[in-house]
Amino acid sequence: MAPTVVVIGGGATGTGTARDLAMRGFDVTLLERGNLTHGTTGRTHGHLHSGGRYAVSDQESAVDCIEENRILRDIAPHCIEDTGGLFVQLEGDSDEYFREKLDGCAECGIPTDVISGEEARRQEPYLTEKTKRAIRVPDGALDPFRLAVANAADAIEHGARVETHAEVVDLLTDESDVTGVRFRRQGPNYLGEGSEGDVETIEADHVVSAAGAWAGQVAAMADVDVAMAISKGAMVVTNVRQIDTVINRCLPKDEGDTIIPHETTVLLGANDEPVDDPDDYPEEQWEVDMMIDVASEMVPIVENARMIRAYWGVRPLYDPNPGETEDTGDVTRNYFILDHEERDGVAGFTSVVGGKLTTYREMAESVTDHVCDRFGVDEPCRTHEEPLPGSRDQSILEEYMDRFDLRSPVAKRSVQRLGDRAPEVLGSEDPNPVVCECEAVTRAEVRDAIEDVGPDLNAVRLRTRASMGNCQGGFCTHRLGAEVYHDHEASTARDAVDELYQERWKGQRHTLWGRQLSQAMLNHMLHATTMNHDADPGLRGDTVDFAAFDAGRKTDAATDGGSTNGD
Amino acid sequence: MAIESDVLVVGGGLAGVTSAIAAAREGADVRLLAHKKSTLRQASGLIDGLGYVPPRTPQQEHADYISQQRQDFRDVRGERGDYRGPLQTPYEGIDALPDAHPYSILGADALRDGLALFDDLVGDTYLGSHTERNALVPTFGGAVKPTARYPRAVAAGLASDERPMLLVGFRSLTEFDAGMVADQLSAAGVLFDVRGVEVPFAESFPTDTKITRFVKAFDHDERIEGTPARRALAEAVEAYVDDAERVGFPAVLGDDNAAAVRADLGDCLGADVFEIPMGPPSIPGLRLEDRLFEALDAEGVRLETGVPAVGYESAGGTVESVIVDRMGSDVPYAADAVVLATGGLVGKGLDSDRDGIREPVFGCHVPHPEDRYDWFVDDAFGDQPYARFGVRPDASMRPLDADGEPAFANLFAAGAVVGGADAAREKSASGVSLATGVVAGRNAAIASRERTERAGASP
Amino acid sequence: MREQHRADEADRRRRTTDGGVAAETADPGQPDPVEVFPEGEFDLRPGADDCYKCTTCETSCPVAEVDESFPGPKFQGPEQWRLKRKDEIEIDPSITECSNCLRCDTSCPSGVGLAQMHNTARGEYVDNQLPTLSIKYVRNRILANYRTSARLASVFPRTANFVMNFGPVRWAMEKVLHVPSERDFPEFATQTFREWWAERGGAQVSNPDKRVAYFHGCYANYNTTEVAKAMVRVYEHFGYEILVPPQKCSGTPMFANGMLDDARRHAVTNVENLVEAIEEGADVIASCTSCSMALRNEYPELFDIDGIETVAENTFDALEYLRINEDLQGAIQDATVSGEFAEAFAYHAPCHARNQGLDRQAIELFRDLDGVQIEDVGDSCSGISGTYGWKEEKYETSMEIGAEMFEHMEAAEGTTGMTECPTCGMQMEHGTGYDVHHPLEVLEAALVE
Repeated sequence: MAPTVVVIGGGATGTGTARDLAMRGFDVTLLERGNLTHGTTGRTHGHLHSGGRYAVSDQESAVDCIEENRILRDIAPHCIEDTGGLFVQLEGDSDEYFREKLDGCAECGIPTDVISGEEARRQEPYLTEKTKRAIRVPDGALDPFRLAVANAADAIEHGARVETHAEVVDLLTDESDVTGVRFRRQGPNYLGEGSEGDVETIEADHVVSAAGAWAGQVAAMADVDVAMAISKGAMVVTNVRQIDTVINRCLPKDEGDTIIPHETTVLLGANDEPVDDPDDYPEEQWEVDMMIDVASEMVPIVENARMIRAYWGVRPLYDPNPGETEDTGDVTRNYFILDHEERDGVAGFTSVVGGKLTTYREMAESVTDHVCDRFGVDEPCRTHEEPLPGSRDQSILEEYMDRFDLRSPVAKRSVQRLGDRAPEVLGSEDPNPVVCECEAVTRAEVRDAIEDVGPDLNAVRLRTRASMGNCQGGFCTHRLGAEVYHDHEASTARDAVDELYQERWKGQRHTLWGRQLSQAMLNHMLHATTMNHDADPGLRGDTVDFAAFDAGRKTDAATDGGSTNGD
Repeated sequence: MAIESDVLVVGGGLAGVTSAIAAAREGADVRLLAHKKSTLRQASGLIDGLGYVPPRTPQQEHADYISQQRQDFRDVRGERGDYRGPLQTPYEGIDALPDAHPYSILGADALRDGLALFDDLVGDTYLGSHTERNALVPTFGGAVKPTARYPRAVAAGLASDERPMLLVGFRSLTEFDAGMVADQLSAAGVLFDVRGVEVPFAESFPTDTKITRFVKAFDHDERIEGTPARRALAEAVEAYVDDAERVGFPAVLGDDNAAAVRADLGDCLGADVFEIPMGPPSIPGLRLEDRLFEALDAEGVRLETGVPAVGYESAGGTVESVIVDRMGSDVPYAADAVVLATGGLVGKGLDSDRDGIREPVFGCHVPHPEDRYDWFVDDAFGDQPYARFGVRPDASMRPLDADGEPAFANLFAAGAVVGGADAAREKSASGVSLATGVVAGRNAAIASRERTERAGASP
Repeated sequence: MREQHRADEADRRRRTTDGGVAAETADPGQPDPVEVFPEGEFDLRPGADDCYKCTTCETSCPVAEVDESFPGPKFQGPEQWRLKRKDEIEIDPSITECSNCLRCDTSCPSGVGLAQMHNTARGEYVDNQLPTLSIKYVRNRILANYRTSARLASVFPRTANFVMNFGPVRWAMEKVLHVPSERDFPEFATQTFREWWAERGGAQVSNPDKRVAYFHGCYANYNTTEVAKAMVRVYEHFGYEILVPPQKCSGTPMFANGMLDDARRHAVTNVENLVEAIEEGADVIASCTSCSMALRNEYPELFDIDGIETVAENTFDALEYLRINEDLQGAIQDATVSGEFAEAFAYHAPCHARNQGLDRQAIELFRDLDGVQIEDVGDSCSGISGTYGWKEEKYETSMEIGAEMFEHMEAAEGTTGMTECPTCGMQMEHGTGYDVHHPLEVLEAALVE
């Protein structure tokens, strides 16, 4: 019998670990309290690091980054947009640091290329005129949603169980050793199993905590102390892509100085502020303003660009030597496998902490190696050579672009999202209208996602990008609800609409001025005035005295149609 | 100066048209400037008066910050507070509205006058004037909502009518699902049987602009795969009618010939046919726009479209002219009185950036919290301060400056540029436009007359 | 004491530069991007920022209403641009279904630069995706370069009038070039306007204080010279000195066919000559609303030529200019029309007049004119949109769009048409058989002996 392992956390690291463990023959269950990527993975900058960023200050991380960067391009091309990256030196920025950066990259094996300011502006016309020169590095944009979903899907293909909306509330212990987990369902899982409030337990031979910023809280359930040095970062989302290359400022350390093109948008960010509680920390106006102001120094057009929302993430940093570093920006981005048997005398339990999205796979490999050691399993890791679902056959993508009767940019974006699953998904629905116009998401994609995740439109959103464009769901939440209704009760679909609408509002609040404020008011008029979704008597359980209202005049109904007036 | 009028109305939406006609009926020579198409094309075409008095959140005790902590949407919904309503008449809630609400400032009679003028302009194309009661109309979001006047096309769908109902959706139209709307209406406790069915219809139409394509096809009864559109639709639906006495469709059933489309469908189906307002794009709104612009012509209002008002000239607290940007040249349009009906945040009569909210043409005072994070509350459907932004008027609809004095002796405001109403949640947007429009238009005409008389008296 | 208050300049600048246009003069404080898409094309993605999806453009589009292969202005505008990557050159081919009527642009409450997006996309499509040896390309190029054909035709106008509508030539036009058989080619005048102007010795009024430069465009020069002559007589009646600078086609037909290089070449000449006239104290006047729109709107949106903003800011429609600067209403009130123009007119406002806010001025003006009746036939589009209706594959769409206008014209009291746009005039005549006149001709009849 294969040893059973529970992995806690449905981010990149957790899903990557579940995949690796499953591929090496373990009986794996992954538990995630929300949707996949609900924690930090869904709230990152989506930066596929070349390592250039850490080439001066943290070379160990830099080396990991460039190695993993190369691997991900092989195994997950459908999650990557190869934008390339620039470290730009503006007038007045230090020459010395520019040199250090180049030298650091060379030392870490990161290929570079120095280009003039003019050449940089030819590549990125909206870069400031003050651009002196730039270092070209192999940065990219990495879609964390697609990445985690593909890892989870492959884990399932290898026999793993993936439970979402399943929050671990306790670790089961025998003496001090961990023997399993107790979890509470926040709702049915993606298969529609279970319901909110159910508490279940799973006995396991080993528990891996890949809970990221929440690792301290999970460890505490086994009375283990893991002191995380977590920090928050704000990211502001523009409405359109002003740039198509990752732009970094070539300065020693500056907050908010990375601009990453991502799908139809650009992400500005991020600052770095220590916080105590990963679930409760302030989201502040000055952070949003700072991201815009800092980015505008490099790309001036950003200053008056429309922002559609802002979001915050918490870095799952772990400081092995607390007290030696002054601020969170100095905490290493390296990762650590905490063997709690060795470290704390608690067997059956390992935490994986620190690290970055770019190095998720290596972290998963390391922790899996560690679990293999524990159980004497002698299976080599294959995750660095086995492509993820969606990325197995890139050669057929171009061919599919022309099919499915979609407009060219719609087909392009759909196929980009679906990778080699495009024919399977897009070939199935007839008719296949576009449901989300901003992001060009069709009914087939939406229904495919609903089949996967159930009536959870936020999960559908993560898979498809529906409602992530400029209207922020104003024009599509109700359409998405209608797609949910296809397989579910009206009340379920209606709840899904409200849930998504409120979620979209959360992020928009931070960018509520100018064009997004107009959009918000238009959305409000559509949903409150035209649909009466705010005071919907069916939802509020109000009893309406229908007889007390105008029932029309019989004569009007009878004569309707006789008039030639268009009314 | 070559271009002049007694009253110049800036804005071509419901409030602009209402004030222009109200002024013209006072004998003024009126010119209306409409820069772009108005929000009539986005709104449902229903004329709401007042449907609810929504709960007010007392000036929010703001936490020091917005927390990352997420609240379950059901809790958010549960904490929204009690709506008074649906109100049986639009007038019964007016006393309960806050002091800064235009209805509180103008009184119920302004709404009555506005609705009366509207009834007169649209003739028998709209219904509801036979009673003071609100009607409950099914929405394409699956709820019912109280409204004061409704297009004839909507009449057979009223929720207080107890005849069994069939709702029909088109498979290729993603806007709503007839079955879902029917189930939700049942959940709202309607007293009739209602079923929904999605039918395949004209699926070769493009997904992008299909609503206008449907409208045109029905209007001209074009052939769809060989069968005239109206009959093709009836054939797709007839098997589902059973005992339904009325059949509802998304509001795409024709434009100029909408009544004939409904009549033809009704004949084929043996039931009354009605529409459920949708939008944007709103076909009922487009039809209303046509009616209103015809009315402007009939009332002798001079109309100019496509050019924006960008500033003004004033002398001694009186507006002398409005500066119009004619493709890059500033042209002053002289007027004795001016009505500002440029719309709210949606119609772009209010503009904003990270630092604040402003009214761009006259720079009228728009009260709003200094801190951008006080412009909203956390429930998307909560008591949103931003939804109430706008100029503050006096009882004759003159916008007030920061000291509470009229900004100009002869400037009046109407419609969504006027703040104080929570129109979306109250279901009062059209009523506010009509009430403020009728008062602003009338007073502008009076101001113009008085100015002319004064000028005549002092040679 | 009169004070003037103008929405601040920053606002205005934002309006003119929205769309990320590389207009040199727009904002000296913020340098333009060097070169955007390859070949110096414009990156219009930032223009999508203004769109809030209200669909007003879709409900204003006459093509989408009748043609299911056209996905509409929103898709072909802000949506497609927003979904685009810099390295993706592919434009959805449906862009060629757009007739360039600009109604979407006119109606958009958010000021999205739809026309600019469509024109640019069409240009990219033609450059990158339409094979240059295809018959359609050749046909479109001929249609777009009307001035070249017209110049040749007017050398032997009678022959041309005969030949163009003569059996074998027509046959070749239809079969080889796919020009619809239903259309009659416009008649060429036996003397062009410029020949007439030279013959009469140029300007009859000299007035350094009131000077206008007339941009007659191709059609008033080669075909409807009576419109150009009416313009001259009316303006001289008001005491204007008229300059007729050298000029080429305004470019409208070229924009509509994605031939931006051709259009640019012509624009360079026009801008150069018009700037010179402006420096001599003249404002630029056009009698064709598509020409005035090109000079005012499309030039600065599409090209980056020295002086192009100056031309845009100083160009006016012929009627509009008089309305602003003369007491036209007063002059009309004292006038009466008798004879040929004492008619009831069914007036159609061209889409390109709408875009400039001119669509109601003829109605307002002639409503007060004795001897003339005028009725607006509504806001439908004529459907011809310049060269659009001259393509065999677009003919049916063009006539379907026009159907509403034909109906309204027939329902109107008058049986004479009126419009400012020469190609709308052709369509009106084609659909109803009515004679069609330009407002300037009626104005001439009212004001000039």
